[in-house]
Amino acid sequence: MVSNAKELAEKRMARLMAAINLEEPDKVPLAGVGGDIVPAYAGISMYEYCYDVEKAVKATEKFIKDFPCDWPFAASVVGLDGRVFNVAFSEFPDICINLTFITGPMHDALGDKYYRYPGREISPDSSPQFIGGAFMEADEYDKLIADPVKFIAETVLPRACRNLETPRKAMAAMVRLGREISNFNALMGQIVGKMIENGYPAMALGGAYAPLDLIGDFLRGVENLLLDIRRCPEKVKAAAEALVEPIMNYALAHKSIGANLAFIPLHLNEYLSPKLYKEFYWPTLKEVIERLVKEGFKVMVFFEGKHDAHLETILELPKGWGVAYFEKTDVVKAKEVLKGHTCVMGGIPMGLIVGGTPAQIDEYVKNLLEKVKPGGGFILAPGVGTAPRETPLENIKALVEAVEKYG
Amino acid sequence: MLEEILKSIVEMEEEEAVKKAKEYLDGGGDPQKLLEVCRDAMGEVGSRFEKGEYFLSELILGGEIFRQIMEFTLPKLQSGSVKKIGKIVLGTVKEDVHNIGKDIFKVFAEASGFEVIDLGIDTPEEKFVEAVKEHKPDIVGMSCLITAGVTSMKKTVDKLKEAGLRDSVKIIIGGGRVDESVKEFAGADAWADDAAKGVRLCKQLIGVEG
Repeated sequence: MVSNAKELAEKRMARLMAAINLEEPDKVPLAGVGGDIVPAYAGISMYEYCYDVEKAVKATEKFIKDFPCDWPFAASVVGLDGRVFNVAFSEFPDICINLTFITGPMHDALGDKYYRYPGREISPDSSPQFIGGAFMEADEYDKLIADPVKFIAETVLPRACRNLETPRKAMAAMVRLGREISNFNALMGQIVGKMIENGYPAMALGGAYAPLDLIGDFLRGVENLLLDIRRCPEKVKAAAEALVEPIMNYALAHKSIGANLAFIPLHLNEYLSPKLYKEFYWPTLKEVIERLVKEGFKVMVFFEGKHDAHLETILELPKGWGVAYFEKTDVVKAKEVLKGHTCVMGGIPMGLIVGGTPAQIDEYVKNLLEKVKPGGGFILAPGVGTAPRETPLENIKALVEAVEKYG
Repeated sequence: MLEEILKSIVEMEEEEAVKKAKEYLDGGGDPQKLLEVCRDAMGEVGSRFEKGEYFLSELILGGEIFRQIMEFTLPKLQSGSVKKIGKIVLGTVKEDVHNIGKDIFKVFAEASGFEVIDLGIDTPEEKFVEAVKEHKPDIVGMSCLITAGVTSMKKTVDKLKEAGLRDSVKIIIGGGRVDESVKEFAGADAWADDAAKGVRLCKQLIGVEG
């Protein structure tokens, strides 16, 4: 145990909370990298990292110990987004919050077609990947609108999951899924334990989703949904609206575990023109965020890709609503637009960490922080948290040291 | 008529565009001319995207309209009558199973007159090498979505070097997470994080007006 672990964790937490609350922390907080590099650094395969609890815990501990940061957001969870399952179970608050991440063993239990796991569909060294798919027909919107939970649980999931195809298969699959939920919670319990030992704040993270993304990622597939928006716009809109309630039920269920930060990763945002974004995507997402804020949550939204065209819409949210985490949007520009209103997160292109040199990284962080540090309300983070397994370790070190110097 | 078809495609009027293209051919129109008009339309869609007027959803819809029209237009064209401006061997790199970016690029590359040999997803380095030997392309296009793909790109370039094939092709990398430093790291000749730019750069790489 780090001798001053508790003190260190408190310091890091205060730093993060200051940024989130739009104040100036003692130092710019860093959310570190994670992903493939974590098992690689421990000398285990991605398969082992996804399927062997003991090895995963050890790998995580080794990584967060040797590459310190304020918030090991990207290194703390091994799983892929499972929001369709959250919605399917949204009437059962005790169950639904456990399916935000679908782990490898859960994927095996479900036999779903959404994910590809190392040592299963792909090689043992590959990253686990989400590919989604189309499990709802274009003429089924009325059913989705009428009763989204029923339609997803009873019609979509049996198509999307081989092991839910028939009620008798589903019985066994659900027993297995329950077992894997227990295993995952035990894993997370151990990881949180290691974080606390090593001076990291233990933050319970909640979750929600953009209603339209749920349709694109898990029901219709992205390409089909984009065509549906043109072909049957009113139905798409009504379906997104119908999904708000179950998504809220899932999101609010996190109160029971004391979560006060809800994470929403976006997907379709960069696909849409401002006109389509404002008409089909933003209204229901905005409603979800606003209702969470009213319930006392802070919200952290990951704006995938380039969000430049929609940046101003964020100002429609109540001041201090939470964190806007950007992937490829210029964070300097974003901070300019959002300062005093929204905490901005991001700034480090993964290409730089993979392909750059320590000197380049030092220089980059110095220049960036000069611009975004004043006034606070900023969390430095990689645009995407997953570092490839060949990422030069000296570059990750260089990032940590640069923040130490210029933060 | 052709003018109207062009406008319908560019303005994303899916039904109109497909209907008019059918009518044009049924009325004895020249499939070669229709193809050219569709290509021009796709070029305009791409250029609107690059200007920030169009977004990914328009690229995808434009590609879908083009695909639908080609379905009944291509069989009417005499084989060999379609001029190709160059050949691209294309694939999503090893350990990455995403196809959406690659597929959008492919439609636009084909619409620009490239012949595209699509190796699919999770493509081993050796498969790229074999395809270059077999098809002798002008360009190798590698796509990835996940960050791990970045190192697969580098390894593929290295394998092409080992096989003595690196200098016989231009290499372009594409995908949401590539940028200038990834291009340098992988040893590619160009990079693009959208299909429109990717196709424009491919034309530049082989010396055709972009």
